[in-house]
Amino acid sequence: MLRRTALAAASLLAAGLLVLTACSGGGGVAAPTSPGEPDPDASVAVRLVLEPGNLDIRETAGSALDQILVDNIYQGLVARTPEQDIVPALASDWTVSPDGLTYTFTLREGVTFHDGQALTPQDVVWSLTTRRDTPAWRDAARLANVTSITAEGQDVTLTLSEPDSSLLWNLTGRAGIVLKEGDTVDYKTKANGTGPFVLTEWRQGDSITFERNDAYWGDASGAAEVVFEYIPDNQAALNAALAGEVDVLTGFDANLKEQVEQNGDFALVLGTSTDKGTLAFNQTSGPLADKRVRQAIRQAIDHDAIIEALASGQTQYGPIPELDPGYEDLSDVAPYDPEAAKKLLKEAGYEDDLELTLTIPSFYSTTIPQILVSDLDEVGITLDVDSVDFTTWLTDVYTNHDYDLSFVLHTEARDFENWANPDYYFTYDNPEVQDLYAQSLAATDESEAADLRKQAARIVSEDAAADWLYNGASVVAVGTNIAGMPSINVNERLNVAEIAKSNG
Amino acid sequence: MIRYTLTRFALLLLGLLVASVLIFLTLRVLPGDIAHLIAGVGSTPEQQDAIRERLGLDRPLPEQYLTWIGGLFRGDLGTSLLTGTSVVDELAQKAEVTVPLGILSLLIAVVISVPLGVLSAMRRGRASGTGLSVGAQTLAAVPVVWAGMMLVVVFAVWLGWLPAQGFPRSGWSDPWAALRALILPALTIGIVEGAMLLRFVRSATLQAVGQDFVRTAAAKGLTRDQALLRHGLPVVGLSVITVLGLQVAGIIVGAVVIEQLFSLPGIGRMLVADVAARDLPKVQGELLALTGFVLIVGFVVDLVHRVIDPRQREAS
Repeated sequence: MLRRTALAAASLLAAGLLVLTACSGGGGVAAPTSPGEPDPDASVAVRLVLEPGNLDIRETAGSALDQILVDNIYQGLVARTPEQDIVPALASDWTVSPDGLTYTFTLREGVTFHDGQALTPQDVVWSLTTRRDTPAWRDAARLANVTSITAEGQDVTLTLSEPDSSLLWNLTGRAGIVLKEGDTVDYKTKANGTGPFVLTEWRQGDSITFERNDAYWGDASGAAEVVFEYIPDNQAALNAALAGEVDVLTGFDANLKEQVEQNGDFALVLGTSTDKGTLAFNQTSGPLADKRVRQAIRQAIDHDAIIEALASGQTQYGPIPELDPGYEDLSDVAPYDPEAAKKLLKEAGYEDDLELTLTIPSFYSTTIPQILVSDLDEVGITLDVDSVDFTTWLTDVYTNHDYDLSFVLHTEARDFENWANPDYYFTYDNPEVQDLYAQSLAATDESEAADLRKQAARIVSEDAAADWLYNGASVVAVGTNIAGMPSINVNERLNVAEIAKSNG
Repeated sequence: MIRYTLTRFALLLLGLLVASVLIFLTLRVLPGDIAHLIAGVGSTPEQQDAIRERLGLDRPLPEQYLTWIGGLFRGDLGTSLLTGTSVVDELAQKAEVTVPLGILSLLIAVVISVPLGVLSAMRRGRASGTGLSVGAQTLAAVPVVWAGMMLVVVFAVWLGWLPAQGFPRSGWSDPWAALRALILPALTIGIVEGAMLLRFVRSATLQAVGQDFVRTAAAKGLTRDQALLRHGLPVVGLSVITVLGLQVAGIIVGAVVIEQLFSLPGIGRMLVADVAARDLPKVQGELLALTGFVLIVGFVVDLVHRVIDPRQREAS
């Protein structure tokens, strides 16, 4: 009896690991237009993959929170569009002084929180100051350059110690979220923001429900209710779509295009995203410290074959994806050429006897490791694949830098800073890149900042600091009666304010 | 009888104690750092230490264990690291899905297996009996996930009779909708578990046929089938009750898999999510509750067996 019980417990644990096998796809452009009249009372069901552990927007890490809570529930002075442009939100307008040291925002009047309290300039001052001074709050460090935050009338002024071209962008994220000063809401399970939706229910392990905020300061949302259903498994999500139980599938698999479109009720939409499938090289010592070996690995990998296997996404040969400022096509740096790779390996003294280990979190599909093993085998590198639990990856690779090669999908937008940080797990240390990045932050002109990043990105790629296996796509299946579903980078941010459903 | 009950109860407590130690230790050796997971990629060691301290993860293991066990005696299974909600409340809420699912699965398994198992034994050597037996063998070997998928494709996607996944947000306030959501998942578990049970019922029945009292009854003028049904079946029933106790563990494991497949907000799916998030107090509480449940069912089955089996009653 006890033995059976122990086995049961073990299988429970094993089954626990299965949940992670569903892996996410990418973002996009406006979905197919809907034929019928939108129904303002409609409820729209959206399938998501990853459920947040809790809803604490102040402290809890994870894009699962940002994805649905920022923009829809919580807002900042400014917001970003799916196309990554910065637009007004709680501030109707802003000005930046020519020296880039003073930002003045004009706060909208008549904005209320979901519990009915009014938004005051003091709430903004308190939110930003508390964020900056509380290390436990996410992205506190992104406000480190801000020396003072003050309000006069409806004007909120941020003064900086040095110019920061990323400040506005940072204010569109966690760092800029405006909360009610002294709010007593239980942030872990509830929410109180200023956005177009009110969070009405979180059924853990199942769904999160938003309802239209009738007191919203801006345009009313297209749907009366949006229900996010957490369905980790793609096959189950497909069945739910075919049975008409969900209206939109996000994080879907482009290989299932035919199945989901078979009866004409759904269309698969591919949007661009900032998902970067990053093959990191531990270049502190050993064979990978030799740039020729790293370059050989890059040239041995058939990137087009990876895109084909995923049926979505595009190639990316440098650290900056197309959606981010500073992108340039770097395919000339590491073209697919196994012969050249063999030559480089021979020069470096590793002919046919190089053995490396790839550490990869277990929730990614086996497609990537399979391609890598066979491509590298072609040029005489034996690749062992060590598939580990994500928390193990965090400890071994991320914290202790104990790895040869590592694969992780980095989804965050504008995260070039990691290449300028020698302590990051990428182990890439080039003072020239660090200097260029610092200059780009200090630039007061956006195109100048982007240009400096572009230069830095080329160097990172030429140093073969890592390989970028692919730039993922947002894979979304949208019901043909749904309009206004964003498709760009929806795994990072999913603004559902404009989604509308028609009965036709 | 009293002495027997007390002995069994002592064994039950011992089992729970051993299980609690095992669960506690197993979770402690799992790789991965919850503080890091909560603080997020990119957090500083100081932030992680602060979280560790707040959660009491920095204290010695025996102390952590005793704190946990101490709470158990007050009916407190701890609180979630992530949401701060009570594990007992969470379990009670998710039980609204998992308990009906388990009962329904068990019913389906019994309804399928007992009549067919007896029939297949009575018809042994004939084509229909062999057919039943082979069918059961095959079904028992079917992976539960595949069986579920097939049922969904037929009844939800093609015929549209039943929901493909999910549980109504209104819960049991609309009993018909809630029940409909559980039919396919319960069928999936019930068919696979029932097929295993069928083989057992068959062999128990065959054994009964060979018993002296059945042969005596047949010798006194009953047909073999009559003798079996009247005198043999009670013995089969006894063995089935024993096996059902074990089957409960199988159904819980089945529920873990099936709740994923059908996106049901039950205990199994919660457990899986909590393991992935390393919400240790919650996983600990959930595993102990499930283990305790299985052990208690075993205890009850032992007692029931004792009460209804005249042979055992006399022996005590």
